[in-house]
Amino acid sequence: MNDENKNYVDIWGDNVKIKDLGISMLLCIAFALGGFILAPGEAPQPLITGLVGGVIGFIISSIIIKPKRNITKMEGDE
Amino acid sequence: MDMVIILQMILASIGGAVLYTLIGIAPGTDETAVLAPVTIALVLVGVSPYVILAFFISAIVAKKLTDSIPVAIAGIPGGVMAAPMVEHAMVLKSHGLPDVSIKKMSSGSVIGTIVSIPVSFLIANLILPYADTISEYAGLIFFFGAVFLALMTTNKILSLAIIVPFALLIQGLRHLYWGLEIVPPDVTVFVSFFLGITIGPIAFTLFELLNKEYRKNMPGLGNKEIKLKSSEKAKGIPNPFQILTKKESASSAFGSFIGSITFFLSPVGMTVFLGEFLTRHVKDPVQRASRAISTMDGLTNASYISGTLIPLIAIGLPLSPMAIGPAAGLFNAPPVYTPEHNIHHLLSMGEIMTATIIGAVIALVITFNITIKYSSQICAFVFKYIPHEALIGLFAGLVVMLAYMDAGWINIFGTILVALVSGLLHKNGVNYGVLFMILYAAPWLLGVLS
Repeated sequence: MNDENKNYVDIWGDNVKIKDLGISMLLCIAFALGGFILAPGEAPQPLITGLVGGVIGFIISSIIIKPKRNITKMEGDE
Repeated sequence: MDMVIILQMILASIGGAVLYTLIGIAPGTDETAVLAPVTIALVLVGVSPYVILAFFISAIVAKKLTDSIPVAIAGIPGGVMAAPMVEHAMVLKSHGLPDVSIKKMSSGSVIGTIVSIPVSFLIANLILPYADTISEYAGLIFFFGAVFLALMTTNKILSLAIIVPFALLIQGLRHLYWGLEIVPPDVTVFVSFFLGITIGPIAFTLFELLNKEYRKNMPGLGNKEIKLKSSEKAKGIPNPFQILTKKESASSAFGSFIGSITFFLSPVGMTVFLGEFLTRHVKDPVQRASRAISTMDGLTNASYISGTLIPLIAIGLPLSPMAIGPAAGLFNAPPVYTPEHNIHHLLSMGEIMTATIIGAVIALVITFNITIKYSSQICAFVFKYIPHEALIGLFAGLVVMLAYMDAGWINIFGTILVALVSGLLHKNGVNYGVLFMILYAAPWLLGVLS
């Protein structure tokens, strides 16, 4: 493991990289708020587009950000 | 209730069960933070109350069933409520029995659900005659609730001392918004303050990280090491009563019964207390651990369901830690639901029962089967593909959007303010329950004081 990978912090029970967290929060907030503000119709239309926006932000973040976990598989024989 | 609504309830329950089976596994996800915003959003979108209740019950049952899986497999609690079980699950894990703990915990959950639903309806019926008196004194009750919960926290003096100042913060912001004519005089900002309290601890940590000095002193962490153990495949349809021994079923059912009666107390506290109390006499460590986890899981599930159902059926005010937290959306999500007009008023007892049973049965059937059969695969999927950053980002996005919806741009900052204060208090031993109770008691309290 190189040094660059040693700067994660524990937030809410799991390890995160601050820069990635910033990217993900920015994406989700931008899409959710953007969806809400730019929605054309009457209430509850903005809320629906906002929620969809949030989920889109979540999906993009999940694709571009790698989880900070090392998973070792063990067989059930120990 | 016609067929269309019932069909919608079934679909919503399936959606809730699948979604919260995945969320339940993600480490550290707090029940209030993951359930309340989604429920509130659904209410505000205008989804029918029947569908919302079925969705919520299904979600909470599924979440409760699965948040113990990472405990068993990796020793990481999948939620706040799973934390007391880590110790016992680790005993089983060290004996090479993680799949046993998953099965025992899930079966305990099933028993908890089955016991708590009828008990909740029974207790609700007993309280019902006094409901009007109780709601008349709601402000006072919330205030005493705050005092009572404050006395149960680790930092009693601080918890008591912040009751009035925190109420001032809440009411101060509301009056500011009214004064600036950002919100009409008949609208009380609630949802965003509630979410502000919920995300408080995360928000506070994030702001601390902006401090360079603080960041330097943080221990630099690498990847989180997670050891997954593949469990053996179960065949056929699992039966919780065969998985648990008679004694385990009995203590799990008894724990669930007590958990339902004490619906107004803190579920985590009761789980730790009763779980230890009921299993203390068992000598063999493996037997003791498996008895403890099945009992605890049943109890948490039961106290969650009863904490939602009893106030919902009998009073219509959120008078339990569960109801002011994760289930808050069912009681108060203005402008759609208010304390005077919510699921309690919209649905009859029979309708609440139908929605509950549909939600619970679907979640049990889907999630129980999935957890028993595919627990390690789901765990691997969540750990491998869902970054923690994306989950936090999603909730940040939801909170900011709902804050903007409540009272415009300025309220995004108002919510940050509430979150920072709550986070600071939370960090110093004031728990969510106290803060939520103050949020409800604030208008009454300041009315009395001024």
